[in-house]
Amino acid sequence: MPSLELPLVLVAILAGSLAVTSAGRGAWVAIAVLALSSSALEFSVADPNRIGLMLRLSAIGIGLAAAIPENLFEREALRRDLALRTLVRTLREHPVVVASAFAGLLLGLVPLALPIESSSDALRAAGIALLVVGLPPLLTSRFIEATTRAAVVTLAGTLLLRTSIFGALDPLAALAVGAGFTCILVVGGGVATRISNAEEER
Amino acid sequence: MTAENAITAIRALFPVLTALASLALVPLIRLWRGPQRDDAATYATFAVQLLLLVTAVGAALAGAGYLSTLKIGQITIDPSEPGRLLVLLGGIVFAVIVGAGEGRRAGTMGQIALFGIAAIDLALAIPSGIAPIALLLFASLGISGAAASGKDDVGRARAVFRDLRTVSLLLPAVVIAEILRTAISYAAIDASYATPASLAAGTALGVSLVLIVAAGVFPFHNRLIKIFEALPIVGSLLVGVWIPSALALIVMSELSALAGSITDPLGGAIVPGILLAGAATLTFGAVSALLHDDIGEIVGYIAVGNAGWLALAAAAALQSPADTSSRLIVLPGMLTISLFGLWLVSVRRRYGTTSISELGGWARRTGANGIALAAAIVALAALPPGAVLAARLNLLLLGGNPLIALFAVVGQVILIVAAIRLLLVGFTPQSQAVHEAETRPFANLITVSLVVGALFVAAAAAGWLALESGGTGALPPAPSVSPAVSFDPVPSGEPTSSASASPNLSPEVSPSSSGEMSPAP
Repeated sequence: MPSLELPLVLVAILAGSLAVTSAGRGAWVAIAVLALSSSALEFSVADPNRIGLMLRLSAIGIGLAAAIPENLFEREALRRDLALRTLVRTLREHPVVVASAFAGLLLGLVPLALPIESSSDALRAAGIALLVVGLPPLLTSRFIEATTRAAVVTLAGTLLLRTSIFGALDPLAALAVGAGFTCILVVGGGVATRISNAEEER
Repeated sequence: MTAENAITAIRALFPVLTALASLALVPLIRLWRGPQRDDAATYATFAVQLLLLVTAVGAALAGAGYLSTLKIGQITIDPSEPGRLLVLLGGIVFAVIVGAGEGRRAGTMGQIALFGIAAIDLALAIPSGIAPIALLLFASLGISGAAASGKDDVGRARAVFRDLRTVSLLLPAVVIAEILRTAISYAAIDASYATPASLAAGTALGVSLVLIVAAGVFPFHNRLIKIFEALPIVGSLLVGVWIPSALALIVMSELSALAGSITDPLGGAIVPGILLAGAATLTFGAVSALLHDDIGEIVGYIAVGNAGWLALAAAAALQSPADTSSRLIVLPGMLTISLFGLWLVSVRRRYGTTSISELGGWARRTGANGIALAAAIVALAALPPGAVLAARLNLLLLGGNPLIALFAVVGQVILIVAAIRLLLVGFTPQSQAVHEAETRPFANLITVSLVVGALFVAAAAAGWLALESGGTGALPPAPSVSPAVSFDPVPSGEPTSSASASPNLSPEVSPSSSGEMSPAP
């Protein structure tokens, strides 16, 4: 679906930026959107039987089900947190992240940045933009949930970058990486719960 | 699926199947004994120990031959000699450790060990590429998360958090190394790229970084120490020693293939840098082990010393790709640290303290623990001199730097002194904690298995059983499939001059769809 590639790339980058800048509901919804869009980009072209795509979506679905906090789906709160005005304000409050995403997109579009034949411009740009957005909070954040989301963004970017050059993962690698997504989300959620429980007891 | 295919699948996936079986077995035992029965945990522990031993024996019987090679479509699972040997020894080691650890969560720890060795076996059975490294990294994260669960301990949770960050950072490094490696073949035919030697250096750096960080080589040793401080010993050994050692086997295999495919010397200061890191790690780990007072930390620093040997081995794999010494030291190292872990868990369980100052006379009170530590020291020193000691000396010779070799030798001697210090504390007058501790008679199943297991593992680690010879075989070769990249092969931009040249014309290497290098026709 080449016609959908560019919109999906933009959605993935926007969702990745929101995943590391928002808090609570907005961030988790952004992670889910990022997972959907990056998986569709990664597997749509090269995997005719969609096994990789199904594995990835199942793995992230399980991980999200385990990691998302309670009361995420309160209707009124969801509507408030996902309002366009709120999302725009969040991005405006984090100009460095937006600039990084834009710079990553441009950097990825320049072929000389990764001079390897047969790589896909759009996927490479999305991959580098997500890496540039995800890596700084992954390295520096002291908050477990934020680090978990940054890890997912970074991993999604890494896999898009890899896909742009080598094509989609084979089913076994897709299974391993899918398990990795689940692992990051489940372990991150578990650690966050344990630390907050321990701090409450203290 | 025919009966023949089913048998092949069982042989190929035996450790995975037993690990999955434990998920059903343990709840069934708890159901059978009833939640109110105190002995449900004991039965569960016993069953898991049995499964660990069954896994060991089953993997040894299944072997790594063609009968165990499973093919499902394009997927090949080809168990390797090193993987099967690690399962054989891992099953025995962790069965003994789980037995010595006892306690309410011993059964859970046994299950974690089952999944850990199954992940190692599976990773070493997958032809090289991103999958085995990703599998091991994520298995490490999952195991640390599972081992840390059970109580709301902030220290444990933070150790897992650190592991999550590390794993998430290492995968991009692997992918970047993969991309650089693929570019080597293009560089050989197109002058607009960097030179093959410098691209190979970048690849070596990326791949080595995985080993250096995962194994806890200086300056990343802190992760290993925190793991040994925070996690239960089964989790510590798997996350800090066994999985990094399996990663080391993959990394060394990749480094050997990389160095073997490049005619020029590797660019940059990669080899000297890794050598220096290895020697510094050995010395730092040894001196720290000598200076600390907590036996958990001391065992952690001995593991850091072992990580130093892994770094030296990685440098040797780059310098002499055909030499097998680098792979010879991996198994003895992990077995030695496991013996220290066995001793640690047994002493901690018996005396309830980890401070040396409170453990005076422990060896006189519990002779079996003394035998376990003596066996660990013999394994650490690789005595009597044999294949393991020769391999270590060979690594130092391959390094080619007398100063690095001197530091490594001094570091190893200090490590042995630090371990002997632990033993000597056991013969000082008994402290109050040791005097008041409850001990069990020597003729006891747990004690006998501790002594027999320690002697067996020490014999394997020191090279008496020559088990390592079965584990140095090459890992499964990468599949020589044609590129399956589905995108338009027309280059996206510069450089265009070489676009018409097939990468397969490369004089040295050619990329496959998995990013793997395979010899060009």
